[in-house]
Amino acid sequence: MNGAADISLIHFLLIYLLLLIILAVMKHCQVNQTRLLLVASLRMTVQLVIAGFILTYIFQHPQPLFTSAYILLMILFATHRVLSKNKWLNSRFRLTILASLALAVLPVLAYFLLAVVRQDLFNPQYAIPLSGMMFGNAMTGLNLGLKTFKESMDSERLQIETLQNFGVQPKKILMPFINQSLETALFPTLNSMVGMGIVSLPGMMTGQILSGTLPTTAILYQIAIMIACCTVVSLSVFGALYLGYRTLYNDRAQMNWQNAKP
Amino acid sequence: MPCLGIFVVLAKWKAYNEVKLLLGDVAMEVKIAIKELCLYSSIRYPDIEINAGEIVFLSGPSGCGKSSLLRACNGTLTPTRGQIYLDGTDIVSINPVQLRRRVLLAGQNPYLFRSSIRGNFSQFFSYRDETAPTDEVMTELLTLCQAPFPLDGPCDSLSGGERQRVFLALALSMAPDVLLLDEPHSAMDSALADTVLSNLLTYARQRGMTVIVISHDEALRDKHADRIIRLEGKP
Repeated sequence: MNGAADISLIHFLLIYLLLLIILAVMKHCQVNQTRLLLVASLRMTVQLVIAGFILTYIFQHPQPLFTSAYILLMILFATHRVLSKNKWLNSRFRLTILASLALAVLPVLAYFLLAVVRQDLFNPQYAIPLSGMMFGNAMTGLNLGLKTFKESMDSERLQIETLQNFGVQPKKILMPFINQSLETALFPTLNSMVGMGIVSLPGMMTGQILSGTLPTTAILYQIAIMIACCTVVSLSVFGALYLGYRTLYNDRAQMNWQNAKP
Repeated sequence: MPCLGIFVVLAKWKAYNEVKLLLGDVAMEVKIAIKELCLYSSIRYPDIEINAGEIVFLSGPSGCGKSSLLRACNGTLTPTRGQIYLDGTDIVSINPVQLRRRVLLAGQNPYLFRSSIRGNFSQFFSYRDETAPTDEVMTELLTLCQAPFPLDGPCDSLSGGERQRVFLALALSMAPDVLLLDEPHSAMDSALADTVLSNLLTYARQRGMTVIVISHDEALRDKHADRIIRLEGKP
């Protein structure tokens, strides 16, 4: 099979014309997110160009230090993205999220690389893109899980206060909210697994096929990464919520999640 | 020997009086004592002693800290300064969850799960890892609180006042040592509120339960209170 066809810069730039269609739809529907669209497109371009140069350098000079540093950067960036969307979290909860992301992704990544793909742990060609997919999914799962957790607690504030007043352990009060949030966080990943191959050809598989990999090999990678991503989402959300909920009450079992300060 | 008989009679008389005195002490035992209490750094309270089995009503202008005082008593709010004692023990040294079971607060807004009345009793008790009362007990308490609704009836269809009465029955069923009621009759008319309070407080008196009630209804306060404590809310 042939590798992916080279795209010349001029032809590549043509893809940006599609943004005009999005702008037209936004204008027609009075969606005032033009600035966000432009900023997002620009940021994506700049970030990916930088990533492309850095990855090219790392692939040409494979060093465990470079791979580790890149993964560490991804941990910090993913954590930052989650925290910036969940400003209500207290400082201990924030640390829990950082730890959960790292402790969920790193062991699964190591298992994937050493046992499934049978590659060196620090091989940047495998370790970096695979961990990127895992962090991306974990980040989405955490955002969704934490959003659901907060919103459900806010909407059931009276229930929480009443149970607290009636002498119920905080753990017992919060556990149903945690379980519901975990379910919600897992739902998109599980849903995409259901539709995969029929509704969509996922990004990783598409990329591999474009670069010349046999579809039969590409599906093996895709199945493996989907299961790994689902595991990572469940572990990171589980870890963050099951460890983080303890930071929402003090030693006098008084709960406070609304006035938490960073 | 007669001297010995007189000595025995005297000893028995002394023991009888000691027991009587002791019983008298128990009846006047201080259940809750509040000392030099300050909440939110600005609301200061007078020193208060509430005896076991006493029915106390709190009154005072809005914002004077009545509800906050109840929250401080059941440990859901930590004082800035001062102490609250339950049976002579500083509540800080009591496990907070156990404290809230002994000093139970039924808040201003009743909460009921979206299930039947029986389901609500089951869920609340299940949350406390306890067995729900029997149907007979539930019915007795609901009747007492003027909420004689079918146990299988849904709580969603109840009116505000009906929910409040079911909620009060729930709180009573947990048999706390001290029951804190924050405007328990806010969604009831005066006559119904009078009946509910009368039944509820009679039930509490019979069981030696201490009750602290916040009520804005002066007539109800005067009628039902053993004592009214007025809070000024001034520093």
